[in-house]
Amino acid sequence: AAAATSPGGGCLDVDFAVGPPSCSHVNSFKVGENWRQELRLIYQCFVWCGTPETRKSKAKSCICHVCGTHLNRLHSCLSCVFFGCFTEKHIHEHAETKQHNLAVDLYYGGIYCFMCKDYVYDKDIEKIAKEEQGEALKLQQCSKPGIGEKYPTWETTKPELELLGHNPRRRRITSSFTIGLRGLINLGNTCFMNCIVQALTHTPILRDFFLSDRHRCEMPSPELCLVCEMSSLFRELYSGNPSPHVPYKLLHLVWIHARHLAGYRQQDAHEFLIAALDVLHRHCKGDDVGKAASNPNHCNCIIDQIFTGGLQSDVTCQACHGVSTTIDPCWDISLDLPGSCTSFWPVSPGRESSVNGESHIPGITTLTDCLRRFTRPEHLGSNAKIKCGSCQSYQESTKQLTMNKLPVVACFHFKRFEHSAKQRRKITTYISFPLELDMTPFMASSKESRMNGQLQLPTSSGNNENKYSLFAVVNHQGTLESGHYTSFIRHHKDQWFKCDDAVITKASIKDVLDSEGYLLFYHKQVLEHE
Amino acid sequence: MEEMSLSGLDNSKLEAIAQEIYADLVEDSCLGFCFEVHRAVKCGYFFLDDTDPESMKDFEIVDQPGLDIFGQVFNQWKSKECVCPNCSRSIAASRFAPHLEKCLGMGRNSSRIANRRIANSNNMNKSESDQEDNDDINDNDWSYGSEKKAKKRKSDKLWYLPFQNPNSPRRSKSLKHKNGELSNSDPFKYNNSTGISYETLGPEELRSLLTTQCGVISEHTKKMCTRSLRCPQHTDEQRRAVRIYFLGSSAVLPEVESSLDNDSFDMTDSQALISRLQWDGSSDLSPSDSGSSKTSENQGWGLGTNSSESRKTKKKKSHLSLVGTASSLGSNKKKKPKPPAPPTPSIYDDIN
Repeated sequence: AAAATSPGGGCLDVDFAVGPPSCSHVNSFKVGENWRQELRLIYQCFVWCGTPETRKSKAKSCICHVCGTHLNRLHSCLSCVFFGCFTEKHIHEHAETKQHNLAVDLYYGGIYCFMCKDYVYDKDIEKIAKEEQGEALKLQQCSKPGIGEKYPTWETTKPELELLGHNPRRRRITSSFTIGLRGLINLGNTCFMNCIVQALTHTPILRDFFLSDRHRCEMPSPELCLVCEMSSLFRELYSGNPSPHVPYKLLHLVWIHARHLAGYRQQDAHEFLIAALDVLHRHCKGDDVGKAASNPNHCNCIIDQIFTGGLQSDVTCQACHGVSTTIDPCWDISLDLPGSCTSFWPVSPGRESSVNGESHIPGITTLTDCLRRFTRPEHLGSNAKIKCGSCQSYQESTKQLTMNKLPVVACFHFKRFEHSAKQRRKITTYISFPLELDMTPFMASSKESRMNGQLQLPTSSGNNENKYSLFAVVNHQGTLESGHYTSFIRHHKDQWFKCDDAVITKASIKDVLDSEGYLLFYHKQVLEHE
Repeated sequence: MEEMSLSGLDNSKLEAIAQEIYADLVEDSCLGFCFEVHRAVKCGYFFLDDTDPESMKDFEIVDQPGLDIFGQVFNQWKSKECVCPNCSRSIAASRFAPHLEKCLGMGRNSSRIANRRIANSNNMNKSESDQEDNDDINDNDWSYGSEKKAKKRKSDKLWYLPFQNPNSPRRSKSLKHKNGELSNSDPFKYNNSTGISYETLGPEELRSLLTTQCGVISEHTKKMCTRSLRCPQHTDEQRRAVRIYFLGSSAVLPEVESSLDNDSFDMTDSQALISRLQWDGSSDLSPSDSGSSKTSENQGWGLGTNSSESRKTKKKKSHLSLVGTASSLGSNKKKKPKPPAPPTPSIYDDIN
């Protein structure tokens, strides 16, 4: 066996030049036909118990035959039915007198050899142990769903170990590492694209998808596949390379696949986001993510899984009060701002209690205010009568939008760019937005309680289903005709960085929350299984 | 082990029991950790946890004014370059977008340049006369010679459009089909209409070319002529000869419709070309496919019911109004106010 040498002398005084992990005494044990089955029984009854019954019987029967304790690192002899504690050496005595060399630790299932005076690790025995442990866990899951799958740690193989031994310059990624951050060169008015790239490549669930290489390209020409290019982008941005990346291939592909965006000019980041998501969605044909694609009307690509939410529209006939409901998929929510001449703000901003912990200064509009306005019942005037199915005539109605299904990543878009007949301008009003957002009040299911005037959020109800965390902000400086986009992205859980094309610098949470905000990206805190 | 009832015990006793249980749990956890380390040492992979402090420093985030997180000074990236996927030239990265626009024939001057080329190519006096215009067109160097084989040329006549030409293939009816699937064929390797290096063509492509285009090889450039089957620059004899050369003595000159003119394509070819411009017709339900987002303009969706602000992703709408209605615009730091440019003529102008 290859001896592993200690690089640079560790502080641990351990002999790294070890021999094989197993021993000859184990080999003597592994003879005959019955040892496997007997071993399994020991594991099932005395080590890993799957059901409450076996747990109870273990508690009752596993006590030291000498002193009666059930603590003190109880071991079971492998050759006969004997339990002895390790601390008081009762199992050692048994081993010596009976010449039974092996015992198993009842806590963790390790095999102790009394001749070698050490725990030994035998491949065959460990394999059996792993299986039994897995079985027990499965049984536990049956009785108590919610216990997740146990993910084993990565085990290196021999050749891997050798290879790694030759490379002592190993680095463990810490939260003070630059890995995952990288600048993007501006190709000529492409800062809008760079910001969206930064936001997407720092979307945790999307990052996990691409860095674990889940994309299987089924495009006829992979070099034209935007998802493949996205995959490549992730590799570039997470490479640790400090020199900014040149996303020229991305630009070219976007121009080919989203023709309306092609051209050397300043563009809208929000528009780019939607176009990019659309192309990615269309190119995702090969990836089966979870649910079988048996329903042709329901796409299950990673883009839809992450970004698609369901927007519910309820139209209530004022005559018969019948409600007509439609649910449409949406990738983001565009919010009108106060001061826009197309919008109407019935709620004076900041008046209601601070729902999401946003900085509550009277007069400052919050994201929650905008969402509240977005989901308010709106009376459609007499000019916009809807044909009511039950009344069979045109009636006045109210319409209300709410969220029916929340996406994993929610993108909010402030409509800062006004293109009305009267004027074209940018609305630069500061909108306060929170680090954490609870979408519960804006769900379809909350409509009842809202009507009754209870917009209060369950403060710490433990219900985290609808809670989101901010992870990226795209900002625009300048005027409607000419400006510059920058973004803030969240990295290593609580650190924020400002991305200004090729330049990445550290930012504070205050910098982020004080910024004007144009596109806000929130990520669900808790992901549920399908 | 005896069972014990907890009722009737006073608080201090309960406290003691709780402490005992807690201590046991902590000890168990520690034991588990010890086993992990022991196994790692015994099996020889404990060293993996070691890191090299020197190289760890390579990646530490720098937080100092005037430097980025990598410790680099700002604005030193002027010399970054990239290779244009269209023309394979090396371009300064910060100028790539304007270059690509011209390279693909989308820029404001492209139509003017293209028209000039058409005018020149109609000039019968010189053979391969369009070679002269090469330097004007798209700033590209088309005279590759032998070293630079045109590789995956995604652009071709697609992007450079003779707008004023009434016989432009773009006006074919196939334009009305907006739901074409993205073409499966290889990107065409045309080197605008001056000709194509036949070495880059596979047998099938060669065959296909010879059914729709002139194909005569220029002595000058060693390239095949990509004009129509009735191109005035070459004779039928020449055309027959090149077919025999490539396809064998049984090769025939294809029948030609009399209505075809210079630079016009076969319908199928143009359809394939044009479909590359368009979006996939995807039937998956996704926000871009949604049909019911048509209510009041206050409905603030990313889908955008107002056409001006966010250009739709719906393939059915006319999505090609250009700069005039652009919404918020971002660029690099050039802050000079840029008035919205007049809409560049586009092939889609014809449709709507």
